[in-house]
Amino acid sequence: MTRAEHDTVTPADKDATGEIAQPPGHVEVWRGNEHSPVEGAPDGVITLKDLEVYYGDFRAVTDVNVQFGSKEITALIGPSGCGKSTVLRCLNRMNDLVPGARVVGTVAYHGVDIYGPDVDVIEVRRRVGMVFQKPNPFPKSIYDNVAYGPRVTGMKVDSMDELVERALRGAALWDEVKDKLKQNAFGLSGGQQQRLCIARAIATSPEVILMDEPCSALDPIATAKIEDLMAELAKTYTIIIVTHNMQQAARVSQRTGFFTAEADEMGHRTGRLVEFDTTEHIFGNPSDERTEAYITGRFG
Amino acid sequence: MTVRQTRRSGPSASGDHFVLWQGPSVDLTQQRRRMGERVIKAFLVGAALLSVVVTVGIVVSLFAPLTEFFSHVGIGEFLFGTEWTVGFGNKASWDDKSWGVLPLVTATFVMTAIALLVAVPLGLGAAAFLSEYASPRARKILKPILEILAGIPTVAFGFIALTVVTPLLGNIFQFNGIFNMLAPGIVMGFMIVPTVASLSEDAMSAVPLALRQGSYALGANRMKTTVRVVFPAALSGIVAAIVLGISRAVGETMIVTIGAGLQPKMTLDPTQGAQAMTGFIAQIASGDAPEGSPVYYSLFAVGSLLFLLTLLINMISIRLVRKYRQAY
Ligand SMILES: Nc1ncnc2c1ncn2[C@@H]1O[C@H](COP(=O)(O)OP(=O)(O)OP(=O)(O)O)[C@@H](O)[C@H]1O
Ligand SMILES: [Mg+2]
Repeated sequence: MTRAEHDTVTPADKDATGEIAQPPGHVEVWRGNEHSPVEGAPDGVITLKDLEVYYGDFRAVTDVNVQFGSKEITALIGPSGCGKSTVLRCLNRMNDLVPGARVVGTVAYHGVDIYGPDVDVIEVRRRVGMVFQKPNPFPKSIYDNVAYGPRVTGMKVDSMDELVERALRGAALWDEVKDKLKQNAFGLSGGQQQRLCIARAIATSPEVILMDEPCSALDPIATAKIEDLMAELAKTYTIIIVTHNMQQAARVSQRTGFFTAEADEMGHRTGRLVEFDTTEHIFGNPSDERTEAYITGRFG
Repeated sequence: MTVRQTRRSGPSASGDHFVLWQGPSVDLTQQRRRMGERVIKAFLVGAALLSVVVTVGIVVSLFAPLTEFFSHVGIGEFLFGTEWTVGFGNKASWDDKSWGVLPLVTATFVMTAIALLVAVPLGLGAAAFLSEYASPRARKILKPILEILAGIPTVAFGFIALTVVTPLLGNIFQFNGIFNMLAPGIVMGFMIVPTVASLSEDAMSAVPLALRQGSYALGANRMKTTVRVVFPAALSGIVAAIVLGISRAVGETMIVTIGAGLQPKMTLDPTQGAQAMTGFIAQIASGDAPEGSPVYYSLFAVGSLLFLLTLLINMISIRLVRKYRQAY
């Protein structure tokens, strides 16, 4: 469905036209218009419309229109400082924690603007989990790390033991830790810690998992394990990953977005989404010459 | 490995970088005399030695008179006796007094416990607020104010206990007389709030931001993040802060002397006045304790016990701090 005047159509209009009434805060999944076309996957679990992020007066990214597809891996690539992490942090409102950060535009999760007035950020983060660059397990036992999310969000679970086992199996860590669940998570290796963080994230049964350079602190073998794991997880979850590793993006993702930051005439550098397409297309036959320059290593 | 003497200097073409230097000879022995460094080193060694010597000296002069004391008083009688009448009777006589130190120890214990009941919740609450909730500006203003509290002379606190807190509490509790352990205990609690709060705040602020982010990303709110992630991660520092608070309370003298009086009394009832260990030492040391008299020796006995108690607390603290220390 394509609509030309997204902004002028309100839920009340929809009722008048006989469409099913939507819950408050609902925005239609944005398919773009001629001024700001939306690129991306057709089924749009998360849709960004005219996204713009400020840190104080500094505009870090602008004009991001994109749609992330369900149960696939989307990679965000681009040179340092172009706003990949900034965009990623908008998707589960982690930017709320940055003093002075301000988000303009729409971040719609299944059509609901997560920055809307009635939205509980805890509900958002339960559905959109996150894995960070450096493994950050809590100073608790392996078991308590995994059980943390379900406990703090008050999830009703029949058996926490089962849930912990399922999450650890899901993160391909169960066999390595099943005999030491009560031990402190700091005793694990870096790669194991990162898989524990993934287990922790999937324990709350999210739909989307955001990963910001999840392998950059790991050695090649641990990285390979995480990449295998991501491919496995993509059967169940929608994954959006920021990476500096071109080969990684090419290996694991189905779609890739390329960001870059170019200085304007005032000298302000603002990040923009240059191109978003299937990974095959981006790495095989990019439409934009800046994308090509970046992936062939001539720039960035 | 064999060294091939035939090679010429410079990187070899084979990629093997072991090269025998064949140019002018090199002298790598010390070229200049570094006097300044030696002087500074000598000074530092001296400073370290002096503090060790002074500490040992204090301990020895504290313990030395104990042999004389315990030749007149049994160790069991001293440690487990429930009556302390050392300030009374014939100054020169060992025999007309009761030498049980427990009343002084219980008074110290009761007042320290009351102080902790006040200081731990308030101190940790203040620390959590400053570290997790306050804006950077609020923290910049509030933390110095808190630390001013630590600079108030303890005589002033003692005076407040006696003239303000005791009359106020008198509206609720039945005190007999002006002395009680409740008021000085509470006031002492306020006195150590800055110690507990400031050190705990440092420990909590040192918890990596990444842990908080991990917690928020899992849907925890600020309170849960503080209680379930920041507190456990900072536990080592928090324990150290509380123990330092205990040490200060156990060693505190003016507040307990002014607020709880000079009457040794074996009781756990905080509405009663009772003399603490430090209170006894202050009373005798500032009054009449002729050298060589029984009272004079009792000062060293109580002082040594106080020293050992504090040492024990510190040792337990070091173990706890090690146990809960996290390496990030
Ligand atoms: N907390 C912050 N406060 C102020 N400015 C910020 C903050 N975080 C990011 N920025 C700025 O926003 C811009 C985008 O940063 P961001 O971290 O999103 O880039 P990135 O693409 O993730 O870079 P990298 O690849 O190095 O991680 C940069 O110019 C950065 O300096
Ligand atoms: Mg980044």
